[in-house]
Amino acid sequence: MPGALRLLQPTTPSEASAALRELGERAKIYAGGTELLFLLRQGLAQGDFLVNVKTIPELHRVLWNGNALRIGACVTHHELETNPLIRQYAPMFARAESQVANIRVRNQGTLGGNLCFNDPHSDPGTALLVYEASVMIGGRSGQRHLPLDQFLLDMYTTALGEDELLLEVQIPPLPPGWNSAYLRLHRYQRPTLGVAAAIKEKNGNIEDVRAAVGCVGPKVQRLAELESRLRGAKLDEAGKIIGEAKGYLRELLCPVDDLLGSADYKLYMTGVLLRQAVEKALSGDNKNRDEHGIG
Amino acid sequence: MESAEAKAQRNFDLSLTVNGKAWSGQVPVEETLLEFIRNRLRLTGTKRSCESEVCGACTVLVDEQPVSSCSYLAFEAHGKSVLTIEGLAQGEKLDPLQEAFIRNVGAQCGYCTPGQIMAAKALLRQNPAPTREEIAEWLSGNICRCGAYPAIAASILEAAQELEEKGR
Repeated sequence: MPGALRLLQPTTPSEASAALRELGERAKIYAGGTELLFLLRQGLAQGDFLVNVKTIPELHRVLWNGNALRIGACVTHHELETNPLIRQYAPMFARAESQVANIRVRNQGTLGGNLCFNDPHSDPGTALLVYEASVMIGGRSGQRHLPLDQFLLDMYTTALGEDELLLEVQIPPLPPGWNSAYLRLHRYQRPTLGVAAAIKEKNGNIEDVRAAVGCVGPKVQRLAELESRLRGAKLDEAGKIIGEAKGYLRELLCPVDDLLGSADYKLYMTGVLLRQAVEKALSGDNKNRDEHGIG
Repeated sequence: MESAEAKAQRNFDLSLTVNGKAWSGQVPVEETLLEFIRNRLRLTGTKRSCESEVCGACTVLVDEQPVSSCSYLAFEAHGKSVLTIEGLAQGEKLDPLQEAFIRNVGAQCGYCTPGQIMAAKALLRQNPAPTREEIAEWLSGNICRCGAYPAIAASILEAAQELEEKGR
């Protein structure tokens, strides 16, 4: 059991924000608890108060507004993998969600908790970068809207201010004619590498492409330069272009050794999975689980 | 306006059902469902192990969904229905899953078994006729360090078949 805790159950974002402002570092935002309770128990985080944001009804919504999905911060991974709106408008994200940890974590853990904790060994952020998702944040000074890549700053670090909370994630669908794939390597139920790609083909060429890589280094990254090298290339040149991008990937991703694999291994496999993700997206066969598991 | 500090609760008035029986009382906010089940209700079939949601030994069902009771605060189960391994048998009659695990020796040391069976229970409720592959996928979060996986999968397949035959 973690140390003694006291519970606040706000019903509006402004009530939660006021509690965070008053209690400062002593308060922790509590959503799924899957990461927080572990950290409290291990003494890696300290807190006396839980601000349970799950009691805020609007944070549980999943809406489609005609242009984008709007997903409340407290929606669980299991709901995301099964929700018909998500499967319709962001199917690759739904598939990435279906691979998060195990069914218990997916039942308990929330999208908002996952993004706010910003553990580099995580799936959702990588898929969301390819959708060019954004987040809505609420706090004392009102609401602000940020692209996801400006929210996920560095490992375990986000753009959230001390009295702010994540309200919702907005996901525009991929434009018509695009296909996508999410591939990962994992050990001990945490990914050591996640690759998301989306691609539009025209007459045997790559008309447009987006790609993102997570878990390899401290921060999930869009691969803007590789995307521009791939744009306009013939389909069968994609593998070669990705193979030649190793130096760029090393510099951008800053791969690190960890218990899940060496930096060199992760970098090598990044190239492999990028090629496979592009092929898979081009094949349009997105129905299978895109997983390579060990242990 | 009352300060957040003054408003914060140290204890929670919890009401829930566990294996069909109602329970009401106060629990500290930080009490986990695992502690509640084992220490307060003395139902010790549910096991504590990794305490990091990886191993699945503490799996129980809350409103039919599997959760890691080691990392689920008891107050979250307010108004909900919790099912543990002790709640599966109907009197003296074991659940078909329990019978199949016994027949197939779906265990070696047995420590992970309650969690395996509870995870399997949730699977069969959602998917009454799973393939072996679907079983392996669903139970990928329930670790058996003795390596009884083939017998565990066989037990679940057999129980599913038995339930299906009964249902006909």
